[in-house]
Amino acid sequence: MALLSREKQTLFLLIVGLLSWLVPGAGHFVLKEKERAIIIFATIVLTFCVGIYIGSIGVINLFGATPWYVVGAQVMNSPMVLFLGRMTADGAYPVYGWPNEIGQIYTSTAGLLNLLCIVNAIYLAYLRGIEPTRG
Amino acid sequence: MSMETVFVIATFTTPENFGPKPLSMLWLLPLVAAIAIIYKATKLPSIKAANFMKETSILFGSIIVFIIIAALTLHVFAWLITG
Repeated sequence: MALLSREKQTLFLLIVGLLSWLVPGAGHFVLKEKERAIIIFATIVLTFCVGIYIGSIGVINLFGATPWYVVGAQVMNSPMVLFLGRMTADGAYPVYGWPNEIGQIYTSTAGLLNLLCIVNAIYLAYLRGIEPTRG
Repeated sequence: MSMETVFVIATFTTPENFGPKPLSMLWLLPLVAAIAIIYKATKLPSIKAANFMKETSILFGSIIVFIIIAALTLHVFAWLITG
């Protein structure tokens, strides 16, 4: 890999991070880590789907009484969560008690795991950018 | 849109009906599996099916054992305090 200029590398890191957020695993896919990308995509999407299966899409309550840190973690899954949040903003999908709590735990954990993958993809991209300068 | 698709989408618009029962604790297992899989997917230098499954299983087991130890410790504390 040719040594990238600082601006190009910064832009590449931003693109990798953004892709990882848009579609879980996409950042690793761009870096030709296909196995990792498939594992990450399947696991995060499945965890998120289990969360909204248990608690319904009502657990995505961006404009309600849900704590900010839960909303922040849920949004880290993908921008699609913002779309779901607009759907549930009028309170059409009420959910209370354990299904709400377990659903929020699943969806926010999926988001935090995706945040870990975003950071990992950016780090891998950074390492590949500086590889030629080593040794 | 077919009826099957409608039914699948409908399952995501109504919450499941369960309460705080001992069996509800089993919902932690898929979550622990997800955490173990993602952690190992980001940490292993190369992904080989057998090695990946072995490493993930070890981490999954470690987390579960730790949770059981923590639960037993808390249970003993509660038993000592409440008599």
